[in-house]
Amino acid sequence: MVEFKIRRYDGEKSYWQSFEVPAKRGMTVLEALYYIKENYDSSLAFRASCRMGICGSCAMKINDKPRLACETQVLTLGNTVKVEPLDNFKVIKDLITEFDGFFEKLKAVKPHLIRKDDNYAEPKELLQTPEELNEYYVFTLCIKCGACYSVCPAAATLDEYLGPAAMTAAYRFCADSRDEGQKERYEIASSPNGVWRCHLAMECSEVCPKNVEPAKAVQLLRRKTAFSMLKSLLGW
Amino acid sequence: MESAKSVMEPIAWIFQMLTGLVMILLITLHFYVTHMTSHEALKYAEVVSRVAQPEFKAMYAALLLIVSFHAFNGLRAILLDTNAGMRGRKTVNALTTLAFLLAFVYGLYLLFSI
Amino acid sequence: MGVSGWFRFKGRSLFSWAFTFQRLTGVVLLIYLLAHLTYLSTLLDTTGATYESMIAITVSRQFLIFDILLILCGVFHGVNGFRIILHEFGIAYGYRKPLLAIFIVIAVVVWLYASYIMYSLTGG
Repeated sequence: MVEFKIRRYDGEKSYWQSFEVPAKRGMTVLEALYYIKENYDSSLAFRASCRMGICGSCAMKINDKPRLACETQVLTLGNTVKVEPLDNFKVIKDLITEFDGFFEKLKAVKPHLIRKDDNYAEPKELLQTPEELNEYYVFTLCIKCGACYSVCPAAATLDEYLGPAAMTAAYRFCADSRDEGQKERYEIASSPNGVWRCHLAMECSEVCPKNVEPAKAVQLLRRKTAFSMLKSLLGW
Repeated sequence: MESAKSVMEPIAWIFQMLTGLVMILLITLHFYVTHMTSHEALKYAEVVSRVAQPEFKAMYAALLLIVSFHAFNGLRAILLDTNAGMRGRKTVNALTTLAFLLAFVYGLYLLFSI
Repeated sequence: MGVSGWFRFKGRSLFSWAFTFQRLTGVVLLIYLLAHLTYLSTLLDTTGATYESMIAITVSRQFLIFDILLILCGVFHGVNGFRIILHEFGIAYGYRKPLLAIFIVIAVVVWLYASYIMYSLTGG
């Protein structure tokens, strides 16, 4: 039996509730949450979808660290497992947090290929060498789970801060050889709420379940943004 | 989301790094001169005669400029990391720039009047 | 969330400690800079009497603890700042973990050495 201490929130008050879950080898925290929902308390609310670390829905704080519930084995966590919603997000109910702002920020950096020759009537193939792919490949692995944002000290104190995930997405497209929208994105990234607010605590890279290295992406994006701003300032 | 161009931010970021690097050298030198050359280095006469030498005067003026910038730009960065600071961004920028200039000018006044 | 978000360490790595300590030492050093400039105003008394009386207070055994703490702030801020600048320029990002450990060791060694110098200056 493993004790699950869950941080509940019903819209008005926040409290801890404990459940005993019969854990067996191979059981994930997400399975344990489903066990609780099915056997003890059907009102327990959490977000989950794919159960295999692809969709990024089930990021939550498990024993103080943000992780994907579906990829965390219960037996690696000891006899007590503490489950809380992510920090830096507004809690809606129990383990469910408000992601609207997070997705707004992702949208704001235009995370899609921007081409001057967009022509949907006559689409044309865009070629890319493996080297060009490697320039940004690791940053495409982001599943938008919000783990990085939840530990970012800049995001903790500044609601409008773009955050590691959005800036990683921005860099991912800026570093893509097929993309022609760098200038637009540098301008977005250089807003006062953008790259300048990162002070490299690097906790985002520590917690990323996909090892995307958001801290690195933000540094690269900032360097490119700074030089692009200075170039345009000097009229080069 | 605001996307107004700010030339201050990239320049401040680059200078914060450059001044940081220069300070590692200059402050080590400053500490070395005042604490490791002789036991008398902090006596009034010693300080005055040191500051009278042009190379030391230039070094201290440079150090003063660099430290004041780094300190108040750092404060600016901390303040702008908060919601309240960001709401009053223009004020924060203006006040920290003013404080930097005041500290620099006051230091220069001291440097050239002793 | 408020500024308390800079002081959450439960479940966090050493990187978060480094970030917070960098911030705190930065503020301490800013205050010290202001104090230092104010202190140097005593040089304006050209007889040197005011300055010497202040030096007698600050270069003393009772003041040593403040000197040592100040040196800790300065050395940590400088050494850790250098690490951050390296990464911000895009250097050695892949080695960020060993680099953090090495730089903390460097900071402690430099701190102890500089503290020893201050200790011997006050007649140790």
